[in-house]
Amino acid sequence: MSTQEITPTRSVLLETKKKIKLSQSGYKIMKMKRDGLIIEFFEIMEKAKEMRDRVVADYLNAMEKIHIASAVEGAIAVKSAAYALKGDPQVCLSCKSIMGMTVPKVDAECGCTPILDRGYGVISTSAYIEEAAKAFEKLLETMVLAAEVETTMKRLLDEIEKTKRRVNAPEFKVIPELQEAEAFIEFRLEEMERENTIRLKHLKRKAEAAQ
Amino acid sequence: MDIAVIGNEDFVLGFRLAGVRRVFTTTEENYEPTILKAMEDESIGVLAADSSDLKFLKPHVRQKVMDSIQPVVVPIGRDESDLREKVKRAIGVDLYKTEDD
Repeated sequence: MSTQEITPTRSVLLETKKKIKLSQSGYKIMKMKRDGLIIEFFEIMEKAKEMRDRVVADYLNAMEKIHIASAVEGAIAVKSAAYALKGDPQVCLSCKSIMGMTVPKVDAECGCTPILDRGYGVISTSAYIEEAAKAFEKLLETMVLAAEVETTMKRLLDEIEKTKRRVNAPEFKVIPELQEAEAFIEFRLEEMERENTIRLKHLKRKAEAAQ
Repeated sequence: MDIAVIGNEDFVLGFRLAGVRRVFTTTEENYEPTILKAMEDESIGVLAADSSDLKFLKPHVRQKVMDSIQPVVVPIGRDESDLREKVKRAIGVDLYKTEDD
């Protein structure tokens, strides 16, 4: 707001003072929210790092198992076992709130399927395929857990960025501008008062001279 | 909701063994349209993707994929550059930095 747009009156001064008070309380609340989100983020980050390491470890293990199965049984046997499988792992997506921010909650309905329920013949396949299937089931479980943690972390980071902007705007732009406007109005009102006093003195002198 | 997998034949085969039925087999050329199609499917809750395949996507598509909440896209592999970059931008410090970096 430039000083030329400000009307230096008492009502505007009172309004500006009210705005400053409101902006300062809003700024404090947003600052507290930002700090809260950052604390929450640090808690989640440790979990996310751990989950990522687990996903990588499970993935490498699963890939190793499937490569062994392919080498021993042949790629076609592994493929035919994979295509013969029954069951479809499901997830349930719901929402939960962290400091007013909605984050997804992922509940997995997948687990270890017993060998007889898998859908392929136990005699026609080997333990290598079974081990690979188990390793991938484990990876799937870890992946679902990682999905929840990583998405929460992404949402938290987005919210931190937004809140940071909301904290910076009043801190560096809104409040200083309002304070500048307040100072300008106070200065102008004092100046007008001084002018008025001088004018009255001048009139008084003139009236005394006329008498 | 279903779990889906997107990637090359080798990558998706293991997930088929774990019972995943929603499988999108792709090549480098059709990776982007396939992942976008998979993301439009409302019955998919979690989409697993090979993190090394994500480099085939244009930057804005990659951003969209990584920020997606439904489905949640989980990159599988060692590449954690997206999350690292996001942390750096929001917090201002590279918290993923290790002694080796």
